[in-house]
Amino acid sequence: MKIVRNCTRNIWSWIRQVSGDAAYENYLRSTRRIAQAEMARVDPRIMQAACCSTRAGSAAPLTREEFYLHALRRRYSTISRCC
Amino acid sequence: MKSILKMILWSAIALAGASALAAIAFERREPLSAVWFVVAAVCTYLVAYRFYSKFIAAKVLALDDTRATPSERLEDGHDFVPTSKWVLIGHHFAAIAGPGPLVGPTLAAQFGYLPGTLWLIVGAALGGCVQDFIILFCSIRRDGKSLGQMAREEVSKRGGMIALLAVLAIMIILLAVVALVIVKALKESPWGTFTLAMTIPIALLMGIYLRYVRPGRVLEASLGGVALVMLAVVSGQWVNASPAWSSAFTLTGPALAIAIIVYGYAASALPVWLLLAPRDYLSAFIKVGAIAALAVGVIFVRPTLEMPALTRFVDGNGPVFAGKIFPFCFITIACGAISGFHALISSGTTPKMILRESHARMIGYGAMLMESFVGVMAMIAACALQPGVYFAINSPAGIVGKTTDAAAATIRSWGFTLDPQTMSVLAQRVGEHTLLDRTGGAPSLAVGMAQIFSGTIGGERLLSIWYHFAIMFEALFILTVLDAGTRVGRFMVQELSGHIWKPLGKSGSTAGILATSALMVGAWGYFLWQGVQDPLGGINSLWPLFGIANQLLACVALVVATTILLKMGRARWIWVTLAPMVWLVAITMTASFQKIFSANLRIGFLSQANALAAQISSGAIPADKIVVTQRLIFNNRLDAAVTAVLAVMILVLLVEALGEWIAILSGRKAALLHESPYIATRWAEGGD
Repeated sequence: MKIVRNCTRNIWSWIRQVSGDAAYENYLRSTRRIAQAEMARVDPRIMQAACCSTRAGSAAPLTREEFYLHALRRRYSTISRCC
Repeated sequence: MKSILKMILWSAIALAGASALAAIAFERREPLSAVWFVVAAVCTYLVAYRFYSKFIAAKVLALDDTRATPSERLEDGHDFVPTSKWVLIGHHFAAIAGPGPLVGPTLAAQFGYLPGTLWLIVGAALGGCVQDFIILFCSIRRDGKSLGQMAREEVSKRGGMIALLAVLAIMIILLAVVALVIVKALKESPWGTFTLAMTIPIALLMGIYLRYVRPGRVLEASLGGVALVMLAVVSGQWVNASPAWSSAFTLTGPALAIAIIVYGYAASALPVWLLLAPRDYLSAFIKVGAIAALAVGVIFVRPTLEMPALTRFVDGNGPVFAGKIFPFCFITIACGAISGFHALISSGTTPKMILRESHARMIGYGAMLMESFVGVMAMIAACALQPGVYFAINSPAGIVGKTTDAAAATIRSWGFTLDPQTMSVLAQRVGEHTLLDRTGGAPSLAVGMAQIFSGTIGGERLLSIWYHFAIMFEALFILTVLDAGTRVGRFMVQELSGHIWKPLGKSGSTAGILATSALMVGAWGYFLWQGVQDPLGGINSLWPLFGIANQLLACVALVVATTILLKMGRARWIWVTLAPMVWLVAITMTASFQKIFSANLRIGFLSQANALAAQISSGAIPADKIVVTQRLIFNNRLDAAVTAVLAVMILVLLVEALGEWIAILSGRKAALLHESPYIATRWAEGGD
């Protein structure tokens, strides 16, 4: 039963990732990672304190709607579909 | 013990693949089952991936997982995002899979199943996959730079300009030819036209939902959209049955062409969230679903291939398009075996998201193998049709005649059996008024797919629904290529025109957007209009032109890859890219020469123009047809000029690259690589 549950969860997560449904969560994770890395460069001791904050760093992350529009503009200004 | 077992397993796979390939090549006694094709393809892919791609990864490129990739060094949460290889291969495959591997093999089936199938399998393993893999690697080592930027830095400035112009040329011809495929599939087809028209309001609805109701919830919006599209496919039968609605959605070729041109302009100029993006999500879901369903269907139904291994049209007089196997089979198949366009994706978003260098093997080489398999399935679907039916659907009226009786008589004279009633009954079974003169490959592929699908679910009762589902699937993702391509083309035109007059280059200026959109749509719209008016169906001249442009871009990519290998000190291994490059130059140059100068009126653009001009001079053309004929003459000369420009571009690039290679090999010039400096990864080994 546990195997089936894990398997279903993995497939669902893969579909969300491939379809772009999880893009905003990825972005938030990425923003957090960048902020932590920047802080660690300035003072490694701050890194521990900032580990769970999404607003760590100089700028607040984009809202879901802002991120969606921003991602679309970037995606469709370059060749993203083939023949 | 383990290694002995592995050796036995791989020997068995290789043996099974070789036996299946031998059966395809030499079995002539009875029609072959599609299973042979699936086994031949899958076993060859497995062997190629396990051994050839591993050799390239280890010896030729020496992939280094201790080196930080751009997604690690430049992570910004937008473009540079570290992504699992299992997710990235999905993104990459969705980006490279287009209509080419479906339409190309269907058209090439006129030579029989053998030449096309062999090229799809061998060409992909030794050419297409290698190109995608190596260009992806080169771009990773250069912070995700594009093919044009790499050509400029590693070959020469002129090489970069040629790459940019080649991309623009291929884009214009590609958009025209795929639009022509839709026109040929939907003309006089109210059911198909209604279904495709309905995808526009559905996409708008999804766009508003994704923008205002639940921003960015792609999955739920797409699932809702797919359900509505399925409803539109089923409802199409009632539209077809109603005289009033049916006549409203029955459009001629020129009317459809105008509608598509207007649509392309609107999609390019409207905000991307409103129409383009939601249509892309919709199309991606249906594309992947339909391709997977076709694979399952082929394995379940195991159709028998009715087309012979080789047809009489290997002599170059085929009705679908004119020209002999060499070079036209390779030019026609294009994307299913090797596609220059893939080099743009491999040097676009994918290298910015890759987690480790070693993942380039699975994503670059592996995704192209999947694309090749799509081409093999399209070949199976087309060759599973009775050859007479295949030629009746794909031959222009100018060759087989306008009535079922005339078409049946012509096709019988070629040695294939075809009853006049067969075509009328088949058209009725799939819910169409006629299936004659449906050039472009899409309708015959849809009939083949519908037969495979209905063999799995629904039987004869659902044949018409499956046919229109297949037509909708092809048309939907062709339209996605059309609107996304027009938009990117608009940016390229904007960039180029900014050099001439600065206001046009401003990406935010409304006048600039409207003017450059009009320029781009006007360019491909002109070729589309030319194809619609062509008495030989248009596909005969436009598809080879597209194939030449596409293979030219692949030449550019392989020239860049060869130069980089030389500079990396891998002269010993340059045959890996040099061999496919020499082959592509040979087919591109031969095809270009024949398309311009061949004395065969159906091949040579100039000879057709001269023959028409002679007819006008001798008074053989009635007065009311003179203007149309003069336009045909101009179009033929224009096509000849475009082909010549493409051929000259590749020759110039080759001369530039040869000079560079000789200078490096003779030691006259230092091999200066433009790679980003080595920075060790901070991430743990082996993570995904």
